[in-house]
Amino acid sequence: MSVRLFPKLDENQRLMLDAVVRLTEAGCPLTGVRDRADGSAPSDPGLRRTLADVGCYGLLSTEELGGGSVSGNGVVDAALIAAERGARLQPGPFVATSVVVHALTVAGANAHQADVLTSLIAGDAAASWTVVDAGSLSVRRHEQEWVLSGTVAAVQDADECEWLLMTLAQDGNQILIPLAADGAKLVPLERLDVTHRFFDVHLDDVTVPVANLLTPAGSSQDLVDRQFSIAAVLAAAEAVGAMDSDLRLAVEYAKTRIAFGRPIGSFQAVKHRLADTSLIVEMAKGIVAAAADAVGRGAADGDALASVAKAFVSERSIEAAHNCFQVFGGIGFTWEHDQHLFLRRLASDAYLFGSPNWHRDRLWKHADTESRRAHV
Amino acid sequence: MSEAEKLADYRARARAWLEANMEPLGPTAKSRFSFAEDDDFTPERLAEQQALQRKVYDAGYAGISWPAEYGGQGLPKAYERAFEQEAAHFVMPNLGIAGGTTMGVCGRTILAHGSPELLRTHIPRVLSGEELIVQLFSDPEAGSDLAGVRTQAVRDGDRWVLNGSKIWTSGAYYANYGMCLVRTNWDVPKHRGLTWFLVPLDAPGVTVQRIKQINGNAEFCTEFFDDVELTDADIIGELDNGWTVAQTMLMFERGGGGEAAAMSSPDPRDIAPDLRELAAAVGRLDDPQARRLITTAHVDDVVRHHLSRRLVGLMRSDSRQAGALASYGKLASGVYDPIRANLALEIADGGASTWQHGDSPGAHAATDLLNCRFMAIAGGTVEMQRNSIGERVLGLPREPSFDSERPFREVVRAAMNWSGKVG
Repeated sequence: MSVRLFPKLDENQRLMLDAVVRLTEAGCPLTGVRDRADGSAPSDPGLRRTLADVGCYGLLSTEELGGGSVSGNGVVDAALIAAERGARLQPGPFVATSVVVHALTVAGANAHQADVLTSLIAGDAAASWTVVDAGSLSVRRHEQEWVLSGTVAAVQDADECEWLLMTLAQDGNQILIPLAADGAKLVPLERLDVTHRFFDVHLDDVTVPVANLLTPAGSSQDLVDRQFSIAAVLAAAEAVGAMDSDLRLAVEYAKTRIAFGRPIGSFQAVKHRLADTSLIVEMAKGIVAAAADAVGRGAADGDALASVAKAFVSERSIEAAHNCFQVFGGIGFTWEHDQHLFLRRLASDAYLFGSPNWHRDRLWKHADTESRRAHV
Repeated sequence: MSEAEKLADYRARARAWLEANMEPLGPTAKSRFSFAEDDDFTPERLAEQQALQRKVYDAGYAGISWPAEYGGQGLPKAYERAFEQEAAHFVMPNLGIAGGTTMGVCGRTILAHGSPELLRTHIPRVLSGEELIVQLFSDPEAGSDLAGVRTQAVRDGDRWVLNGSKIWTSGAYYANYGMCLVRTNWDVPKHRGLTWFLVPLDAPGVTVQRIKQINGNAEFCTEFFDDVELTDADIIGELDNGWTVAQTMLMFERGGGGEAAAMSSPDPRDIAPDLRELAAAVGRLDDPQARRLITTAHVDDVVRHHLSRRLVGLMRSDSRQAGALASYGKLASGVYDPIRANLALEIADGGASTWQHGDSPGAHAATDLLNCRFMAIAGGTVEMQRNSIGERVLGLPREPSFDSERPFREVVRAAMNWSGKVG
């Protein structure tokens, strides 16, 4: 079953997506996700490498650097994969790794492109991405090194990441940190979304070479903005996939659960709730597809569309999960049923890579900048 | 001459005729009828527009793709499109909502189902602008349940006697005929006892009243029929087979998914200009709370547009699902128009309750509130759309039906003595 984020795919996209779905369902079905949620094992690096062979992790890079899109629009291709991953609640930092791959492609030092980027695209390593405020962290320069001290809060799936790209909110400077460095320590957090794991990353005088500072050709903030747009689109695409699956399960349940002598889906109270949920899902697919297309083309309205997509999907996806929960009734309260995995994932994802309000404020900021430009 | 050359030649002649005969569209002239405005058709205005339509008809540019034996030109659709493209730069005849219904829906439905005699009488007059035909669809007691109409025609010798009433007829007050959905057989299930009649609106026993709406406009009408006499010649299509004709009509009415394409595309960077104007008018443009409300509406606006585009894509890849998919667009309007109107009220913070002049943003917000449930109700309520999505897209089981198999007479009687027991 495909999420069908776009009504129509080209032949190469279809082949890629078929492979991703097949590999994912064989390598990490929902039962596997559940085992992992109960225990504490990181996700399977073997599956990551297999997916990398299909090209999943290099879509936002270039052919010269070992990656490249399949359709000419890497963000669209990555969003297609994100949606199928979300539909199967796949663990692992696909969104963050994709963002870091893109950042290193356009602003990484040559050495990092040869080394770190190559390993990310090959699936031999993974990376997370975080944006920090000046208050929580000290960054000092000592000769040819950066010295970092402080705590980076709630980094997703840090235990399976070799690298953390840390972005400083105030100036847009970005530093690539090896998580195996001396003085770096991961402290696991309790979390809502049990399909991912989160860690506080404590940095105690961790030193990294100055060359680990990213050097974009344009402004640092422009690159960070673009990273936010890519992350917003891919995170929203994952949420769309999760919503799509949750709805599918609720619809199946409504067809088979009998009450008062009828399948419950024949009652309008249930049917209408599911129709409303389906409207949310179709709207979410429409806006995520449009945003992916625009961001991938570098269109002038790409950043705005990405924020519209993330704001809409974050809020409405929680509503969708509530609706499905209501259809499942009491069974939805059991750990054994998958409903809570979807609710947890969607509610948690809503606040990752910018909350709905953060993206609304971003829309205003962009609109103000645009109107200033127009008046100059 | 090749086909392309013939078409180009036709276009050039059309342009020349338009330039010689029609007034070019100035910056203030309105090219299209707007549903929202109060478009009152006085007899003078009607006569003026009919004369203009006659001019177009006499020149051979009315009904370009309609059959030649009924006053059309019998040319391919491409010729009609070419003329329309050229005509977009000129002030063309505008017969208002009734004119739109006549040409876009009723005329085409009659062409598809009417007898040759009926077509010979009416179609040329439709094309020349002499005859306006509106839809007499809903009963006051049957709206979303269209097949449940109770307006009836009873055979009496060689004539039919019509009694009942219709409502929500756009522009009937200045039209000549109404295509009327009527029950002709009460002893069969509801969909199988319906017939369409072409009813002259000036016939004895017909009363047309305009309905003053909550927004002050009056484009809708209601009609009463008291022993109106009709004949077999007034029937469109076959006796008791009116539901088939209704399907054709609904197809023309929907215009094959044209709504989405026509919807203007909001710029995602230009945050809800009307709501920003409203916030500015009440001094709240810098209020973070007001900004959040405005952006919420803007996010919904942009997403709705992209839903429409997605639906067009889905319809293209599976045309059999087009009808069911159209329900998403209708449901989105029905759900989000009221949400938007409420957001505007909250932004206005009292500014939509009183205002000093009719063109103020507060007045617009108040009007939007009054109009906002239009799409939630007209042409099938949101509940109908949810049923359609639930059953035809999601494949959920149908509601038990109490009226589809039994004679309609029995259905009405049973409903009046409703006990909640089936069978």
